[in-house]
Amino acid sequence: MKRALPLLLLALAARPVPLAAQLPRYLGLDVGLSRLQFQSSSPSGGEKLSGFAALGHWRIVLRPVSLDLSYAQGRLAADTGSAVARSFVEGAVFLTARPAPWLVLKAGPHVRAYAAPGGTERWILWEGRAHADAPLLDGEWLAYGELWVSVASSVNVVPGASGARGAEVGLTLKLPQSPVWGRLAYAVDQANLKTGARTESLQSVVLTAGFGGR
Amino acid sequence: MRRAGLALAFAACALALPARAQTPAELVSHGIRAYQNLDYDSASAMLQAALVRPGAALTDSDRIRGLVYLGASQLYRDRRDSAAAVFGRVLRLDPRYRIDQLVFPPEITGLFQQVRLVTRAVTVIVPAQIELRAPGDAVPIALYATTLHPVDVIVLRPDGTRLRTLYQGGVGDSLVVRWDGRAADGTPADSGRYGLVVTSHAADSRVVRSVAIPLDVARVRRDTLPWPAPVPDSLVLPEQAPGRSGMRSLGAGFVAALATVVLPSIVAGRASGAGDRFVVAGGLSLAAVLGFRGERHPQPIPGNIAANRALQEAWQRQADSVQAVNVARVAEVRLLIRAGAAHVTEGP
Repeated sequence: MKRALPLLLLALAARPVPLAAQLPRYLGLDVGLSRLQFQSSSPSGGEKLSGFAALGHWRIVLRPVSLDLSYAQGRLAADTGSAVARSFVEGAVFLTARPAPWLVLKAGPHVRAYAAPGGTERWILWEGRAHADAPLLDGEWLAYGELWVSVASSVNVVPGASGARGAEVGLTLKLPQSPVWGRLAYAVDQANLKTGARTESLQSVVLTAGFGGR
Repeated sequence: MRRAGLALAFAACALALPARAQTPAELVSHGIRAYQNLDYDSASAMLQAALVRPGAALTDSDRIRGLVYLGASQLYRDRRDSAAAVFGRVLRLDPRYRIDQLVFPPEITGLFQQVRLVTRAVTVIVPAQIELRAPGDAVPIALYATTLHPVDVIVLRPDGTRLRTLYQGGVGDSLVVRWDGRAADGTPADSGRYGLVVTSHAADSRVVRSVAIPLDVARVRRDTLPWPAPVPDSLVLPEQAPGRSGMRSLGAGFVAALATVVLPSIVAGRASGAGDRFVVAGGLSLAAVLGFRGERHPQPIPGNIAANRALQEAWQRQADSVQAVNVARVAEVRLLIRAGAAHVTEGP
């Protein structure tokens, strides 16, 4: 079942879709800042950190599929006194398809790392995502929502990963007749270790500016 | 007397063994050779023997050649009436036949000419097939007469009644009568088997000979042009700018804002939600309200409307042109006429 979902997404991406085929070739780039809030909890307690990360997001539309690449890097500092500050690095590559004008399906790997002086915790998540757009004003203002779930996950922490899920809601404001846009979004996800040893959640409020051209 | 006996014996032999020794064509050749050898009795006997065979046994040219030599032989045998009757038969078979004055002496050609002057017959030549397409087209009917005499040329309907009289009058040598495929009132003939009848009249108006030729008439309709293909949808421009529902924007914005608020508890149940998310929720709410206020009804696009109208008018002009051509083609009557074999009736 876990393998079937990415295969389905890949099949959807590879399928010739007339609507998607009408989309132009397109290259877009978002850069911005993200306010992060990390929280972990385990039977023995938990920790809470927050910080900022710089992020970049590239989108290349190659009919009928697109490629989304993203990278973020920042620093988390303890909100509570006992937590150790750490660096935060995240990257993802998604193959996307647009089976309907309002719907985008994505699949690909998502890697996240927390680098602390005592060691680095690395997560590798293979995710399937569904992204929906809803126009708010003249097609230039869009509200969007995105849900995702990991179909395969691993972490270099014992006892290992048992999965992750997440969601993102946001607003894209595009200037009329302009290749420039802005994005304000909120994302939240939770990753779990096996046997309920620990859960980690990361929330982020993202503000980016983007530029795209055909 | 001795010559007559020899000829009789030869003729008896020829008649007794026709299939074994000589075909009718060979008999005609031998008869002609006997004539050239001045053996007129033998010539007459052999030619008569050849000519009494059924019609298919000799070609028309051999039959006429045999008859001409038979007539000449009979004349030299002092049987003038018989010779005249034979020459009359030649002319009825082929009214255009003219005796060769280089081959036959004047007494023979003279008698032939005398017979021709009193024999009233016509050869009728009609094209085997002709299509009458345009006004003015007609079937040419060529008449070749033996001598000047009155003829009637009529077309009979399939039921035998008269459709049209094409000609009534004299024909001296030749005449071409034309039939445009219509009745006397100009109505085109319907499909069917018609009859072309040419009757030769005696001086007292008696019918002495008729030539009937069946004419199969078929009305042919031209194919109409196909209707032009409709204007493809891909060429039709949208005539209205799409409207936008304010309620939809409001709903979408508020749902997204609400999702922003509740997502932490749904996705990360035990984690406390980041207060920053309310900024996002507020932005979504504000956008929703602005979207609601910016509700817009569909607006016509004059440029596209004009372009579509021009496209439609061009199509309509093309359709009108096709329709006009098709109406003309439907109204147009073409006749395909096929002529059959002539049937000759001697006498009234």
